[in-house]
Amino acid sequence: MTRFVIVLTVALVTFAAPLRAQSADDLLAQGIRAYQQQEYPGGAWLLRRALSMQGSAALSPAETARALMYLAATELSRNQRDSAVAAAQRLQALDSHYRPDERIFGPPVVALFQDAQRSAPARSGGAGAPVATAAPRGNTIAIRPVGGGDTAFRPGAGAFLLRITTPAPAEVSATLTGPDGRAIRTLFAGPVRDSIDLRWNGLDIAGNVPAPGRYLVTVSPVGRDRRAGWSLRLPLEVTRTAVDTLALPPPPADSLYRAERGTYGRAWRSLVPGVLAGAAIVVLPGIIANGEDASSARLIIGGTVTVAGLAAFLSQRPGRTISANSAHNRNLQERWRRDVADITRRNAERLRQSQLVIRAGAPTYSPSEAP
Amino acid sequence: MIRYALAAAVVAAAPLAAQSPLRMSFWGTASQEIVQSRIGGVRERLSGTMLSGEGVLGGERIALRLRYGQGTLKGEGAIEPRELVEGEVLLGYRAASWLTLWAGPNARAYTAGDADQRWLFWSGRATLRGTLLPGRMQSFVELWKSASGSVTRPDGAASGRGAEAGLEMRLSGQTVWGRLAYRVEQGLGDGDLRDVVETLAFSIAYVPPR
Repeated sequence: MTRFVIVLTVALVTFAAPLRAQSADDLLAQGIRAYQQQEYPGGAWLLRRALSMQGSAALSPAETARALMYLAATELSRNQRDSAVAAAQRLQALDSHYRPDERIFGPPVVALFQDAQRSAPARSGGAGAPVATAAPRGNTIAIRPVGGGDTAFRPGAGAFLLRITTPAPAEVSATLTGPDGRAIRTLFAGPVRDSIDLRWNGLDIAGNVPAPGRYLVTVSPVGRDRRAGWSLRLPLEVTRTAVDTLALPPPPADSLYRAERGTYGRAWRSLVPGVLAGAAIVVLPGIIANGEDASSARLIIGGTVTVAGLAAFLSQRPGRTISANSAHNRNLQERWRRDVADITRRNAERLRQSQLVIRAGAPTYSPSEAP
Repeated sequence: MIRYALAAAVVAAAPLAAQSPLRMSFWGTASQEIVQSRIGGVRERLSGTMLSGEGVLGGERIALRLRYGQGTLKGEGAIEPRELVEGEVLLGYRAASWLTLWAGPNARAYTAGDADQRWLFWSGRATLRGTLLPGRMQSFVELWKSASGSVTRPDGAASGRGAEAGLEMRLSGQTVWGRLAYRVEQGLGDGDLRDVVETLAFSIAYVPPR
């Protein structure tokens, strides 16, 4: 019977709301009653509905705190711990001195609240896990990095996590802009019911690792919520871990290059070894084996060596281009360029393997930001 | 046995050549051998073709050279054909870019029927090289002289000396070289024993890239 009443209430609120405005206080009371009757799904819905009321129908700050307390307890009771923690942290952001009534809520709820207190970031946006609040009349929208502190990860492999929590369903966009103000990536665009985690993989929209610098995540309402006109900004200081890169090889030393045009000295140095070796072949039998008849075939070999020396002399005569040396020098240059390209590629790979270190700053809220 | 040992040495050295700064080259040689042998008043002249292989493993300063060859010599008239086997193992020191000093044994054996004659020398050598075209062509002259030696049939001490000169040129790419060379060696033994060997050789080499 009780379940029927709750379902009926939810149905009435859903369909009759446009016809007859129901106050947030009524919704809060019904949500609390649903919690007490262990009708948790309906209770959570009613409490969220109460928290989302705007204008004159909105809850007072004290009622907002009460609604968030019951919402946290309701979500915990239906095993939605993340949602419960989000509600408790929102309550912490609203009233850091709030304590659950242990006569009403059981030890798990109290423990949850204590956990939320311990993990709740400073409201002013401390270095570890900043939170910014937005919207008047006790409702808050918050942004903070998940995990807190500096986040280091490899671009493309890991991710920087941000959590947006909102007291009421809202349609927002979250955009990352670079030091020059240009958009790097749109991190999110769409409705947020309770909270949402955003991931940035450290790459821009083209897949490149952005340069170190100061970046900004801007959350603002879009769609039907554009008229709200607020914006929430979270600065990010992006740096890179140091990387050992290889030094580029120096250009080939001048001593390694060969003369591309012949000179007299070079020509003579080519002639002499050929002539001497050829002469040696002719005369050596007489020195080594004096008195024996040496083969006359050796004269062919000796002559060949001598002619080779003469050919080398002529090929390197002054002013003549030495194609072999030109080719050698080209190879020298090409090898050096290949080495430079190879090391440049390896350095780029090492840079890709380096980590981005992201430190979130204090978020700011601008209520009058144009949508 | 000797040929297997030399082949094993060449194969074992190949992996070392792949590690800079060692450099290895393999040479295959076809040669015409002319042997003039004299003992007492008897002179013989034989000639034939010999095939040989050579491996050189070199570092910045130190080098190792192994050579083995064999062939058949035929004489004029009633002279019995002989099998010729040669080999050498030399350790070298590169004193300058144009000068390498070598030391080690070299041996030669003639076999005719059941009988053989063996020459063994422990020698010192010097190889002088001159560049005709950088990276493409060079000439060389090698001189050697024995410090000690021995010969069989008739058994006794021996001495020897020799020279080789020729031309080396790159034939294709960076890895294939050719060599044209003339070598003359003389061995002297007791009892007016004299052995003069001339070699006209053409070689092809494979020099693995560094």
